[in-house]
Order: sequence, then structure tokens, then C-alpha cells
Amino acid sequence: MLTRLIIHIAYSLQLSPTYQRGKRFFHNLLENPNSVIKPYFDVFMICLVLFNVFLLIRELNTPLTEAELLFEDVLVSVFITEYLLRVWLYRDAHKIILEDYEKATYLGISFSLVQAIKRIITTKLEYMLSPLALIDLLAILPGYRPLRMYRMLQMFRLFKLFRYFNSIKLFSEILASKRFDLYTLATFLGILVFIGSTAIYMFEFPAQNGHIKNLFDAFYFSVVTVATVGYGDISPQTHGGRIVTMALIMSGLGVLSFFVSIIVSAFNDKMTVLRENRVYTEISRYSNFVIICGFGRVGQHIAAQLQKDKLQFVIIDADPTAILFAKQSGYLAIQADASKNQVLCNAGINAGATAVLCTTGNDVINVYITLTSRHLNPSIRIISRVNREENAQKFYQAGANNIIQPFEIAGMVVAEYVGQPVAFEAILGIIREEQQCVMETLCVQADSMLDGQVLGGIDFDQRKLLLIGVISENSLHSRHKNRYTIKNQHFYFNPPDYFELQHGDLLMVMGRDYSIEHFRGLIEKSRLTLRRKR
Amino acid sequence: MKRIAVFGYSSLSFEAMGRLTPEHYSLLFLAKNPDEAALVRAKGFAAETIDFRNDDELRGIGIGTDIDVIFCFYPDDSDNVFLTISARALDKRVSIIAIVDDPESAPKLLAAGANKIIDPYEICGRKTHEMLTRPDIANILDNTVFGRHDLKLAQIEIPQGAWLDNMKTDQLDLKNRHNLLLIAVVDNTLDEQLHFVTGGTPLVLKSGDILVVMGPTGKIKQFKNEVEHVGNR
Repeated sequence: MLTRLIIHIAYSLQLSPTYQRGKRFFHNLLENPNSVIKPYFDVFMICLVLFNVFLLIRELNTPLTEAELLFEDVLVSVFITEYLLRVWLYRDAHKIILEDYEKATYLGISFSLVQAIKRIITTKLEYMLSPLALIDLLAILPGYRPLRMYRMLQMFRLFKLFRYFNSIKLFSEILASKRFDLYTLATFLGILVFIGSTAIYMFEFPAQNGHIKNLFDAFYFSVVTVATVGYGDISPQTHGGRIVTMALIMSGLGVLSFFVSIIVSAFNDKMTVLRENRVYTEISRYSNFVIICGFGRVGQHIAAQLQKDKLQFVIIDADPTAILFAKQSGYLAIQADASKNQVLCNAGINAGATAVLCTTGNDVINVYITLTSRHLNPSIRIISRVNREENAQKFYQAGANNIIQPFEIAGMVVAEYVGQPVAFEAILGIIREEQQCVMETLCVQADSMLDGQVLGGIDFDQRKLLLIGVISENSLHSRHKNRYTIKNQHFYFNPPDYFELQHGDLLMVMGRDYSIEHFRGLIEKSRLTLRRKR
Repeated sequence: MKRIAVFGYSSLSFEAMGRLTPEHYSLLFLAKNPDEAALVRAKGFAAETIDFRNDDELRGIGIGTDIDVIFCFYPDDSDNVFLTISARALDKRVSIIAIVDDPESAPKLLAAGANKIIDPYEICGRKTHEMLTRPDIANILDNTVFGRHDLKLAQIEIPQGAWLDNMKTDQLDLKNRHNLLLIAVVDNTLDEQLHFVTGGTPLVLKSGDILVVMGPTGKIKQFKNEVEHVGNR
């Protein structure tokens, strides 16, 4: 009966959106380093800890007031709540129950609730015995009245700061990553201190008129000397003791240098990963962005244009020089091979990216990136640069939506320029938005003032616009002249006044940007008004 | 018919030459060595071998006399700069179109006397950006104005005494009369700048002005003939 009830509760929790939302919220608040709210929570906790330290120091001279004691109780309550929430967040207990239950059902054996609870306790203990969780617990314990006398335990509240500072976390990670080197150094240091302590004790024993009274003094002297601190409270009096001290100082210098070099090299190794993680965190905040694979001349031009348009993008290039240049230009850049699945996944090909641009100067690489991108995201837009004309078809086969052939386009530009330099400069200027005029498309939305309207009824002149044509897939327009087939659409150049617009059509207009924006605003407004009326 | 001298064996040279129709342009490829010339001839273009550093040889192919346009498409910017300087010294009026590899070379080429600088990487970058941000317009223009469709963009200069002289742009009504769209006008008497015709104050046309129109090739030709026919319609 109890088992059934617990399984029922476990399933309810699994399916409950409120529970999932709540858990996600606390995960973002306490654990997720990329969440927006965590930094605020961390700052709040840091303030609480620092204020508590202030009280701790104050308590040494003055007894705390009622209000201050109450504050401490509140503080401990916050610490307890945080601790319990962290224990709760560490693995889902209901999932463990369900895993065991489903496994038992599948195998046709009886489900043991006791075993499941044991697994839950083991899992939670795993967390509770981790260093940071132990610090949390030790920070709470002095809140318990009988333990108040152990004031030293309150020092652990200071250690809680480790939780909220990323740099401290990073430092502990670095120490952990260099575990082997540090063990080696510690062993050497241990032997050195042992030899030094024994030697100094032998030479500086009181019987020899020395200052070392016991082995602890000898050990203390050795550590202080190896660390090159040398307080001077104990100093060697004998020739032998001085020789040992000199040897300890020289060895100490070596040990310190070795320690510094280990830490510096570990920091260097970690910094690359850290920088990459920062890029990935930044990307995870983007919602619509472009992935540019290759930061050569073409990639640089695209990035500059996208930056101008205030569009978000990330650059991937294997060349460290290109990445350095991208970073110096203030762009988000990852130094990696863009043809690798993991790299594109990390760059967000399935998490907010709208297009992939393959712009390297190598067709082989571009095809591979195109294929990888299409495999990872069947619906993403892929535009690829093709350097050799004979490879164009391969790019379409690999899944590119559009291809760009630099020399073909440049050849076309030259040919057009030779024949019609003024006309060509005009159209290029419009396309590049370098002139006062721009060319834009306006969508005929359903229920807007344009839907069902004949072109003669729209005074483009009065709106300071020039209608170039209409782009449409609608077969109703097929009777009109000046029809140009483009892929699965038709472009109707200079359509007549009786041309009746249908929703989904695109008007291709030319004019000043504010004229176009004004007209776009009118269309939108009319759509909202008509909807409201209905 | 315009005579064009093409220097530099590259994909761009063949792309450009392939797009220029033999009816309107006479093309001559200038190779650095006989092998290069043979390869170009095999593709159906006229080719000669010359040393571009030698002014006499440049004069020999017609620069300074009957060459109207020069394409400097060498892969090295320094070669293009040298050729541009040499050609400009020989002919002040020849139109020089040069390719640039390093963007820093662009001002040098302009200083050397080039009329138009082509940076294929920049063009490619811009094209990709257009395709990304305004795919509909890029697609339409690629397929019509820059493509193989009949829709073209053209410039028409108003000759002395043409019927268009002193006419206002809003009186033209090219849209209904000729199935053409007047995109812009270059006012040669005023500032030689492009003035786009998108409503607003109509412009008064003068001889020497250039009209930029868009429309089917046949209609452009018909209108051009009308404009160039001096006197009343």
C-alpha cells in the first residue's frame, strides 16, 4: 500500500509541471552558473556571510544585542534552507524510485522500496560528504545552542564564500587538476622538512647551547625556513645548525619556484578552457544568431556587416591567428574545427542558431561543414562559399540552401560595370544601403489593409515609394504579364493597377528607409485595427 | 564596339569574359607566356603574349589608341599597380578595372589611375550578408537583373536636343507607356550625383543627364532608340 502510494507520488512529481518548474527555478538560483538570477543570489549570500563575520568579531569584545541574535537566527535559517535545497536538488529522489520500479516491472521481479530508499540515501550522502556541502553543514552547526561554545566552528561560515566566488572555485579546480605534480612536491617537501627538522634538532639541541627545545620546535623552524619566511624567533647558534639552515633556504627557494611554476602552467592550461566556456555561456544567452565558419577575408566582411546590423553571430576557425584577430575586433570566437559535430553543437546549431555560413577558402572543408551542419540540424539555413565552379552541385547535395561563388560574382560585377557603370553603381548602392534609398520587401499579411487591395488603390507616390514588383507563390496572379519564375516563386515586375494583392505576397519597394518603415507601420496598424473590429 | 584588354590568368578573367557578348565587345587576352595564351585560345578567346612591363608592347596591342577598357586581373597587387600606372600614362581616357587581393592595395590602385577596384572577397562577403538578411531581394535581383532573365538595368544618356530635354520626371510615365521603371537620374549639370526617383519633387531633365531605368531588354532598347532620336517624337 505504502509502496503504491510512493510510486504514485513519484509519477505525479515526474509529470507535475509546477514541481518541475520549481526545481528548475531553484537549480537556476543555486547551481546553474549560466542563469541570470544566480549572480544576484551569490551577492546576497556574500553580504550575509560578511555581516555575520562582522558580528563574530564584534562578539569578541561586546555581547550581542537581542536584534543581533535574532539576525543570526535568521541567517542560520537561510543557511539551513540553502543546505536542504542543495541536498534536494542533488539527483531526483523520485527518479531513483521510478528507475528501480520500472526496472523491476520490466524484469518481472518485485519492487523493493527499501532498496530504492537506500539508493536515495547513498546518493544524497554522496553530496553531503562533498567538501562544499561539509562546509555548509559546519557553518550551520554553531547555530545550534549547545554547540555555540565552539565559536571556532563559526569560522566555517567564512569558508562558505568559496561557494559564491567563481575565481576561488577555479583555483581549487586548478589545484585538483595538478594533483600529481602537487603530490610529488608535497612528498619532496615532507622529506626535506623531515631531514631538516632532524638535522637541526641534532645540531641545536639545548645540550649544544641551541634554542631548539624539542622536535616540534625543530619542525616549526624547518617549515619557517623552507618557506623562506624566517621569523627570527628561533635562530641557529651552532655552525652545523647554520649550514643546515642555509641548505634549507636554498631548497626552499627551489620548492617555491616549482610550486609557482605548477600553478602558473595550470592557470595557462585552464584559461583557454575558461575563455571557451565564457563564449559558450554568452552563446547560450543568444536567441537568433548566425554561425560563421571561417574567419578569412570573406568571413571578416560578413562579420563587419552583421555587426553593423546589430545581429548576433559567433565565429569558428581553427586558425589561432584568425581567432585572435576576431577577438581583437570584439567578436565572439571559438578556436576549433567547425566540421566536428561537438563544436557545432557547442556553438548552438540546435540552440538558437538560424544560419550557418561556410566561408573558408577550401571547398573540401566547406562541403564537410555543410554536410555536418545539415546532419545536425535539417532545418537550419546554410550558405556556403564555393571557390571552384565545378564543385557547386556538390554543395547542394551536401545540403546547402544557397551558394556564393566569389569569382563568378566578381566577374558579373565587372561585366555589368563595363556596360552600365552608372546603373550598376546605383543598384549596388541600393543593395548595400550606401545610398539614401533602400530596397525592401513588405509582406501582405492576412487581414491587413493590403490583403485583397488592388495596386491602383495604393498611392505609392504619395508614400514616397517606388513599387518594383510583387513576389508571389499564389497561382491567382499567373494571368499577369511580366512574370519571372524564380525557384518556386514568381516575380511580377511593374504589375498593373488592377493587380489584386493576396496575403503572403511580398511587395518589392524602393524608397528612403523611413518611408518604408512608415508604410510597414501602417500595414501593421491596419491589421490590428481590422482584427479588433472583428 | 568596345575593345577590352584582359590581363591576368584567373577564374575572374574567364567569368568576366564569358559574360561579355562578342556582339558588343571585342576581347583580347594578354598572356604572360605562350602556354597561357594557348590555354585561353582553347577556350575560344583571342590571346596574345606580351610583357606588360614594356610600354612599347602595351602600345602595340592598342593601349593609347583603340583599347577602351583594361582589366587588370593579375593575382599580385604589385603587378596590377604597375600595369595601371603604365596604362594610365599611355592613355588618360582608358577605363581601368583592377582586382585587389589585399584591401590595403585599393588606395594605391586608385592613386595609380584605376577607375574601378574589384575586391572579390568583399563582394562575396556582402553577397552572403545580403542572402542572409534580405534573401528575397537578393534572390530576385540575382535571377533577374544579374541573371539570365530578360529583366535588365540600363543607363540612357539624354543627347543634345532630345525630346526629353526640359521635361519633368513625373511627366515621363515610363511605367505605363514603356513598361519601364525610372530608378534614378544623374544630373550632369548640377552635381553628377544619383538622384533616386521615389516621389518627392520631380526633377527637370536636361541633355547630358543619365537616366537609370529597369525593365525588359526589348522595352529598354525601344525607349533608348526613342531618346536617342533627336527631335520631337
